[in-house]
Amino acid sequence: MNFLWENIFKRFEKEQSILSVLSKNILFRNLNKRELRFIEKIVHIRKYRAREVIFRQNENGVGMYIIVKGKVDISVIDDILVERSQEKDVVITRLEAGDFFGELSLVEDSGRRSATSIAAEDTVLIGFFKPDLLEILERSPSTGVKVVFRLAEVLGRRLKETTDKITQLKKEIRLVSELQGFHK
Amino acid sequence: MNLEVIRQKIIVRERRVRLLAVALIIAFSMTVLLVIPGMLSAFLIAFVITFIFKPIVNFLERRGLNRTVSVLLPFLISMGLAIALSSAFLPKLSEQMVTLQTEIPVYMANVTEMTKKSSTKLNNAVSQYYKINVFDEATAFLQRSSNQLMANVPNLLSTTLSTLILAPFFAFFMLKDGRSFIHQLLAVVPNNLFELSLNLQFQINQQLGGFVRARILESALVGMIVWLGLLLLGFPYALFLAIFAGITNIIPYIGPLIGAAPAIVIALGNQKSGFVIAVLAAIYVVAQVLDMLLVIPLVVAKIVDLHPVTVVLAIIVGGQIMGILGMIISIPVASILKLTFTEFYHHVVDFRG
Repeated sequence: MNFLWENIFKRFEKEQSILSVLSKNILFRNLNKRELRFIEKIVHIRKYRAREVIFRQNENGVGMYIIVKGKVDISVIDDILVERSQEKDVVITRLEAGDFFGELSLVEDSGRRSATSIAAEDTVLIGFFKPDLLEILERSPSTGVKVVFRLAEVLGRRLKETTDKITQLKKEIRLVSELQGFHK
Repeated sequence: MNLEVIRQKIIVRERRVRLLAVALIIAFSMTVLLVIPGMLSAFLIAFVITFIFKPIVNFLERRGLNRTVSVLLPFLISMGLAIALSSAFLPKLSEQMVTLQTEIPVYMANVTEMTKKSSTKLNNAVSQYYKINVFDEATAFLQRSSNQLMANVPNLLSTTLSTLILAPFFAFFMLKDGRSFIHQLLAVVPNNLFELSLNLQFQINQQLGGFVRARILESALVGMIVWLGLLLLGFPYALFLAIFAGITNIIPYIGPLIGAAPAIVIALGNQKSGFVIAVLAAIYVVAQVLDMLLVIPLVVAKIVDLHPVTVVLAIIVGGQIMGILGMIISIPVASILKLTFTEFYHHVVDFRG
């Protein structure tokens, strides 16, 4: 009888983990249990082997991925390195369970991926795409609006981070040019 | 490095197996549809019902009903409506059909009389150039085709009946479980084609839904105009002729002509005046013009992004392969093929640039 119990427990754990990953993700944090179950039926579970490409830079992208298990490397094509004929991709970050990426594609019109993502080890992802978001908005607008609002918040935060980064870079450039002027 | 090569090989093999599985599932479904008689038409009608009901089902679901109840409700209501409407209109319609049946021999006799009169003139004219008897040839042709039609009637009736029962049955499950079926099919799709397939499926769905709803709108509009026109003219069998015109209108290009034919034949058979026939023709032309001016530019053109030449070619090819059914489905099939081809092309060729 033992194997039966094990099986049930495993299934229960698996379901729990998808639901709990969704409930911890910022996009779905405001949703109640019923709404989360609805989302769970709409999203896609994808499994990737170690070193398998999830998407490539410049490819058409239609949605985002949340990492349930495993790690994902995000890399970009570096022109300088390509010229020096070394490896083309430069890994800029490694994402772990609970992290998400590609969310800009949810709102872009025929957007292109700005980076390449590759599974660093055997990885399980939740895929959430534009057609899924539209389906949620169509079938349960109140749930959809909560998700879209959170999405706007995430994109806004990314924009703010980028603006801060640019301001800092401008400061550094000014400092460098002042220093150059000083040396001359 | 060696390990890396092995890994990539495993990934590629897995992708191939998944692609093969998807291809087999699709091929199997297509075979079932094409081989079992009546299955394709039942399936197509189910699709049409699905696309008409989908906005209603979604609306009910938004109101807080669960999916099954949201699907069941429009089916029950439309069944009730169909029963109510048929009890209201069917007596009239069947009465019209019965009188039409008894009067057809009279029309035929009249038409034959007319053709006889004109055939002597025609024969005289034609025999100057060709050695054939126009009247004999025409009679033989008419007999042949009417015999064929009569021989096909029992067969046609049984397929129609099974289609009428199967189609709503399929439609119910398409609305209730269609999403989870597609979800499961997408789960088999290899990772490298997953986003592309998901997006393609979504776009095809949108396009087909819009197309089907637009065609239904066109048919309803044409039927209504013909009905009103015939009522105003005081022409017999108005309802029957209007429904016939509405249904035949879904056949591209020749449908409207087929739709108008019975009315013209009846008018000729009744030996109506030239004025009545002209008004009759005008009613059908007005229906078509309004359809062309309002529905096609506003609705259909936005949905189907095909060049007119492609449309005509698609219809011809469809007609050659599958007859009238082929003509009806040729435009949506062509637009699906175009969409699929462009998406794959962009995916494979474009993004590396």
